[in-house]
Amino acid sequence: MARHKQLQTEEQGDPEMNISSLIDCVFLLLIYFIVATSLVSEKKLDISIPATEGQASSKPPLDPGKISVRGDGTTFWNNDLQVSEPYDASLADAKKTDPAAAAAYSAQRKMEQLVEQLKLLKDQATAIDTNPVVMLEGSPRTAHQRIVDVMAALAEADIHSVGLSTAVEE
Amino acid sequence: MSKKKLNTKEEVSADINLSPMIDCCFLLLIFFVVNATQITVSKDPSVGMPSAVSCTELKDAKGCIVVNVFADVENMKGNALNKFTATYPAGTYWGVAEAGGKSIGYTSSQTQELTDFISKQKDLFKNQQKIEESKIRLYLRGDQNAPWERSATAIRCAAAAGVNNIVFGTLPSK
Repeated sequence: MARHKQLQTEEQGDPEMNISSLIDCVFLLLIYFIVATSLVSEKKLDISIPATEGQASSKPPLDPGKISVRGDGTTFWNNDLQVSEPYDASLADAKKTDPAAAAAYSAQRKMEQLVEQLKLLKDQATAIDTNPVVMLEGSPRTAHQRIVDVMAALAEADIHSVGLSTAVEE
Repeated sequence: MSKKKLNTKEEVSADINLSPMIDCCFLLLIFFVVNATQITVSKDPSVGMPSAVSCTELKDAKGCIVVNVFADVENMKGNALNKFTATYPAGTYWGVAEAGGKSIGYTSSQTQELTDFISKQKDLFKNQQKIEESKIRLYLRGDQNAPWERSATAIRCAAAAGVNNIVFGTLPSK
């Protein structure tokens, strides 16, 4: 009699929680977050736009470079030197199917001449120990992508600050 | 005889100890949760992101005020178009997400509202989340086909609201 009773208490005193459902939940969450983090591929451009207020009253030691982007995406350096061809947005769609269009698209996106000019300016500025000043003037009609291209060129030339101004006319 | 029967029963119930595995899983989970605190709320799928060669990782999404800049409806297609027409009224230029995740669209005449939203968001970041003012930035998600005028207006609105730090969202180009 006594022996039987002892056995029963031993069985009752070992409670076990069923954790398999918990593990299921944790795994689901884990998979969700793994997928969510791998989807985050958005990057940023390392360009800062200095505040418009509080401008230095003294004349900058170096003439500022001026990039103007026209409505069709043609880019000019200091208003006279054309540094890029017009931007054809239709190539962006065609590039998925046509390799020739893809090549043309990446060629029109790269602004080698502009990068060259910017590097020159950067060198001049480093020689006299100052920061290069670049103004970017975008036509209201130009595509956002074109401005990003110019900023990518700036980043490539190691210039990380640009002033923005919007052109009123072409 | 009855004693022997009891012994066999105890041997059959073999259990794997799951607690170390759960520990590992939780660690991984925490790691990914922390990593995922990027901008997830205001990423509007209707925006076709521009790509850039020399872009860098956005390390800290804290203090980013996200403004989506949309292209014209003619430039959208498929899923992006459906989502756009379902979420925003026609003629929407800028889209933002409120704290509750609700999307609001602003048309070209609502620049004052956009400025108000940015300054409201800025105050929220500064006072409630105690983010330094220098870290409050405008995260501009411009569509690649959006006219520059719209992005420039959004930047002007941000400047009017006292946000002078602009971050351009891009995708890495291959």
